[in-house]
Order: sequence, then structure tokens, then C-alpha cells
Amino acid sequence: MENLDAARLQMAFTLIFHIVFACIGMVMPFFMVLSHRKWLKTRDPIYLTLTKSWQKGVAIFFVTGAVSGTALSFELGLLWPEFMKHAGPIIGMPFSLEGAAFFVEALALGFYLYGWGKINEQFHWFTGIIVGISGVLSGILVVSANGWMNAPSGFDYINGEFSNIDPIAALLNPAWFTQALHMTLAAFTATGFAVAGIHAYQIIKKRNVELHKKAFKIAITFGAIAAILQPLSGDLSAKDIAKRQPVKLAAMEAHYKTSKGAPLYIGGIVNTKTKEVNYKIAIPKALSFLAFGDFDAEVKGLNDFPEDEQPNVAIVHYAFQIMVGLGSMLMLVGVLFFFAKWRKKSWFSNSKFWWIFTLMAPVGFIALEAGWIVTEVGRQPWIIHNIMKTKDAVTPVPGIIFSFYTYVTVYLILAVAVTWLMARQIKALNNTQITAS
Amino acid sequence: MIYVVLFFLGFSLLLYVLLAGADFGAGIVELFSSKKNQLITKKTAYRVMGPVWEANHIWIIIMIVILWVGFPTFYNVLIISLHIPLTLMLLGITLRGVAFVFRHYDAYKDQSQILYDWMFKISSLFTPIFLGTVFGSLLSGEISLYSKESIQSFNVLYIQGWFNGFSILVGFFFAALCAFLSSILLIGESEVMHQKVYIKKALIATITVVLIGFITLTYGFINTVPFVTAFISNELSVLPVITSGFLLYPLWISIKRGMRIYSRFFAGLQVVLILLAAVSPIFPDLIFTTSTPISILENIAPDSTISVLGISLIIGGSIILPGLFHLLKSFKMIKILDR
Repeated sequence: MENLDAARLQMAFTLIFHIVFACIGMVMPFFMVLSHRKWLKTRDPIYLTLTKSWQKGVAIFFVTGAVSGTALSFELGLLWPEFMKHAGPIIGMPFSLEGAAFFVEALALGFYLYGWGKINEQFHWFTGIIVGISGVLSGILVVSANGWMNAPSGFDYINGEFSNIDPIAALLNPAWFTQALHMTLAAFTATGFAVAGIHAYQIIKKRNVELHKKAFKIAITFGAIAAILQPLSGDLSAKDIAKRQPVKLAAMEAHYKTSKGAPLYIGGIVNTKTKEVNYKIAIPKALSFLAFGDFDAEVKGLNDFPEDEQPNVAIVHYAFQIMVGLGSMLMLVGVLFFFAKWRKKSWFSNSKFWWIFTLMAPVGFIALEAGWIVTEVGRQPWIIHNIMKTKDAVTPVPGIIFSFYTYVTVYLILAVAVTWLMARQIKALNNTQITAS
Repeated sequence: MIYVVLFFLGFSLLLYVLLAGADFGAGIVELFSSKKNQLITKKTAYRVMGPVWEANHIWIIIMIVILWVGFPTFYNVLIISLHIPLTLMLLGITLRGVAFVFRHYDAYKDQSQILYDWMFKISSLFTPIFLGTVFGSLLSGEISLYSKESIQSFNVLYIQGWFNGFSILVGFFFAALCAFLSSILLIGESEVMHQKVYIKKALIATITVVLIGFITLTYGFINTVPFVTAFISNELSVLPVITSGFLLYPLWISIKRGMRIYSRFFAGLQVVLILLAAVSPIFPDLIFTTSTPISILENIAPDSTISVLGISLIIGGSIILPGLFHLLKSFKMIKILDR
């Protein structure tokens, strides 16, 4: 395998893992502080048990996220030294601020985890809020750096040299807002449904039902609201990409021929040889409308771009379909939750209802990963859109494939181990007797 | 502004060596302890470092970010030539972090703890060795710079730069330094009846540090490592070394008399002096290569970037440092009140 492919695989693989750890570490603190708030308000010991059990989850995911993040901060340079050499000074702002936000998060987490019964109750709760806010801030800042790769700004590029560097303009690049909004909502959706799903399963198994119902409600409320808002953010992103990266939009839709009133394809199999999509459902004029808010707008097709400036159309198209399909499903299930809550309380005692949510547990994360595949593979062959190609950024160190194998082995063991650890947490939680303290 | 940035770089390096070093060291001390003492070390170290564990290890991220943002050329040499030891170090950091989570957060304390403990102890030894090797490689003068036209072999470009006697000796030196810091920290934190154990460990660690330091310099001298030649002929490095030698005496007195604050202060001072001795004679040429040395000030980021970086660091620092101080203080005070 070529070094470039190995490096891309390693980057993809480590990011796929890190994103899961980071999202959970970023969103779960909010569940934790809400449960904590309810404990302070009601003094119901169930909420205390739940808070303490979630805080263990937060701690585990925070540390695994922190170490995989440390690895990534090195990997950026280890795998893409040419990129970092030029991009580092330009996108330093989000990364240095992210470092600071992450640090604040670690400090606040130190207070939170070890502060029980030792520091002022309200201040203790507040440190949990800081954990959540600084976590989300770190996430937004990292996504802003990624946004810059899609929408490079804050410099002049003349004869292969970067000059007139403006780090603040790079931070506030045109893509940062839509990407950060979409990702934050995605993190809340994915984590909300994952956590809710785990608790829903415990309810089916009739273990500590009262506790798991409370846990479920907190998690799903976040997840469902985020899932319902997500299509709006998706629409903003689509319109943005249509303007800034038309080739990415065309790849997402497998849209080959430039046309006015372009149809939207749902599903279908991409034939990259004939440049056609077979077995699809086509909704007339819908793509033009979604991209430009006008049924007759012209949407540029892949054929208008040189072959060597196109991403892998099949991967981007399928990943996009998966993301949208699963995202829509989660939105509907989110609506289902609120419907049950407000109109059909009886569903809460029906095991079919709980099975639906159990099955949804992994769906949010699958959609989220698919979304990242859309944006990352869709950016190819560029590492900095229209400025630097990925192949020109890769490390000259040969044999990256061995490094890739090592990472795969370590991360797979890590994934199995963390899952096992979480299972033990839940088992221990179910074995605790909750007594009023 | 560049000096503000350099200050934060040095400051992060110092804090990383002190805080993460003491944490690595706890694993090393545990590794070289009897079964009974291993458990005591595990508990004491966790009690002291639990609340600040994550924070201690973030300094390396701050360092790496400062390097790539402010000093891209310097960072580029580091990250290409030392790809292999850096990757090994990262694996160590990952395994160690995971082992830490597992041994302290696992809901059940059963047989699996044995596995976590071994993972923790082994990675606690290897991670600082690789990290020290990276430091050593920068000074070894064995790094051959990669360029698009280079025809040198894989071995010359990516192995020899770090897999050499001097670099590896520095690796061991750094690991010993971690154990030294940790055992002095643990003396002040353990129950009175266990203090003797750590005093003994501190003595062994101090002797090891001095011994490996001496061997490293001698090895470097015999093999005419350019850094060592510069080191021993420069008063900027000889002075701190002599001072640190003299300061071993008050360090020992304070340890024996159980003066926690003083012993930690003197141990920290040793690290400051060592870093000073290593960096000051060669600054700003911080990478010795087979050809000309690389200056950290060469091709630094443009002024606009450096100003923004400096301002971010000042703002970040003014939030983080009081927070860190408060965190350390809160839990320290609580512990004293607990007694």
C-alpha cells in the first residue's frame, strides 16, 4: 500500500475512534449536571446515584478522549508534516484556544470528580457546568480548524507562499459556523440516543427501572431536541457547501451533469464508469431547491470538474445517504418520544417502545461518522481546499502502514476494553441498593 | 512577543517535566517496589494526583501546539526525523492513560487489576524513556535532515537520529529523574510509617540520576557528541550543574527532617537547573544535526501569528494557572484538614 493511503487510513481510523470518545466526553457532563441539579432540588437519592454513575462514565471517556486526542495532536504532524508546516501558523488560533479550553475542562473535572462533600455544594455543581461548556467550546474550536481546511481564509497565497497571515480571520473562516453547529447538534443527538438506548435496554430487563427511567428521560430529552433541530442545521450546511465547495455537493448527490432544476437522488448505486446512478428515487427539482432555495437554480455537476480534483464519488454519496437517512430516522424517533410524553403516557409501559430506543443506541454515532466521511472524503484530493493536495502533505517517512497496523491493534483493544468497562459500570450500578443518604 | 511565546514554551516544558514526570515516576517507583509497597504507592499516588492527573498531562499538548504554531520549521524537523520514537512514546501515553482509567475507575476490583497494574507500570517506565530519548536525540547531533533530494537510507534518516547511545542514555536519565521527583513527592504524602520506604527510594533515585547523568556526559565526551563538548566548556551549563550538586545537600536535609515544602522546592530546583544547563549553552540552536544546527528562531511564524499566539497564551495562562493553583490548594488543604 502506498504511504499516502496508509497515512489516510491511519488518520481516518484514529479520528473515527477519537470522535466517539470526544463526543461522549463533551455531552455527558450535561446529563450529569442536570441529574445533579435534580438531586440538589429534590434530594431524591436516585438522582445522586445516577449522577455519580454518570460521572464515572464522564471520567472514563474524558481520559480516553484526552489520550487519543494527545495522540492526534502529534499525528497531525507525524502524518502530515508539510500541511502543519504551512497551516500551523495560520490555524494556530483555534488550536491554542482549544488547548486552553481543554485545560479548563480538565481542571473543572478535577474539582467535580473529587469535590463531593469537600467543596461548597453549589460551586461543586457549577464546576460540572464548566466541564460541559469548556468541552463544547473545545469541540467547536477543533471543528473550526477543520472548517479552515474546507474554507481556507486569513492569508494570501501567491506563488506557493502563504503571506499576510491573519489568524483571527482563519479562525472565523466561512465554514466554521455551519460545521460547528452541525457537529454540536450531532454530538448531542448521538450521545443522547446512545445513553438513552443503554438505559432503555436496562428498563426492558427490569433492572433498577426507576433509576433507568430517570436516566433515559434526561438523555433522550437532549438527544431528541438536537435530532429535531439537526435538519435545519443540515440545510444551512448544504446551502453553504453549494456555494463554497460545489464539487463536494455534487459528489454527495452523485450529481454528474450540470443542470437547472436538478433532481434529488435518494439511494441508488453509483456507477463511476458510466457516471450514472442506478436504482435511485429521483425527486424532481429538489436538489436545486435544497442547495439554493430556488427550484430552477443551476447545480454544477461533477463533469464540470477535472477528474483529478474530484473526491471518491461513491463513498461520499453513500455516506451522505446513510447520514441523512439515519438522521431523519432519529428525528422521527425523537418526535415519537415527545408524542408519548405529552399524549400517550401508556407507551412508557410497553416494552416495544423501549425496544425502539434500544435499537437506536448506535444509530446516532453511525450517522455522525458517516457525516465526517462526507466532509473529509468529500474534501479530497485537497487537504487545504484548492491550495494544497493531500498527497503533497504526507510524511516522507516510509512504512506508515506498520504504524497503521499498530494503531488499529491498540485502538481495537481499547474499544473492546472500554466497552467491557462500561458494561461493568452498569452491572455495578444495577447491584447498588439505593438508600436515602 | 516572541519571548512571551518562548517563555510559555519553556514554562510548559518545565511543568510537564515536573508534574507529568512525578506521575510517570509514581509508576516507576511502583514497578521497583515490593508487593506490599506497590499497593501503598498506588493508593497514595492516586490520592495526590487523581484530581490533577488530566491537567498534568495537558502540558505536552500545549507544548506541541506552541511548537507547530510558532516554530513550524523546528517542529517539522522534529516530527519527521523523530517519527519513530514519538510514535512509540504516544503508544506509551495511550496505554498508560487507559491503564490509569482502568485501575482507578473499574467498578469491580478483581483479578483484572493485575493486568491493569502491569500495563501501567511498564508504560510508566517506557514512556519517559522514549520521551527522554527524543530530548536526547535533539542534542545527539545524529539527526540527518530529510530533504526532497536526499538519497540517504531509511536507517540514516529515521533510525540513527535517535537509536544511538547518547539519546538512549538521556532517555534513561529522564526516567530516573521522574522516579526521583515522584519518590520525593510521595514521602510527604504517605503515612508516617511508610515514609522510610520512600526516603530509601528517593536516595536510590538520586544516586541513579547522578550516576546516569555522569555516564551520559562521559559517553558524550568520549564520543565527542558536539552538545557535550559545548556543555562542558560553557559556564552557562557548568554553573547550574555545580549548583545543583551543592543543592543536593539541603535537599537531603529537608527530606530527612520531613520538610515537605522545602524538599519539593529543592527537587523542583534540580529540574530547573538541569533544564537550564541543557538549554542555555546552545540556545537558540536547539537541534544538533549531522550538518548545521537548527535554531528554534529560524523561520518562525509571521508576527501576526506570534502576537495572537502570545496573547492567547497570556489570556489562557491567566485563567488556567489560578485554576490549577486553586485546584492543587483545595485538595491539599482538604487533605491536611482530614488528618
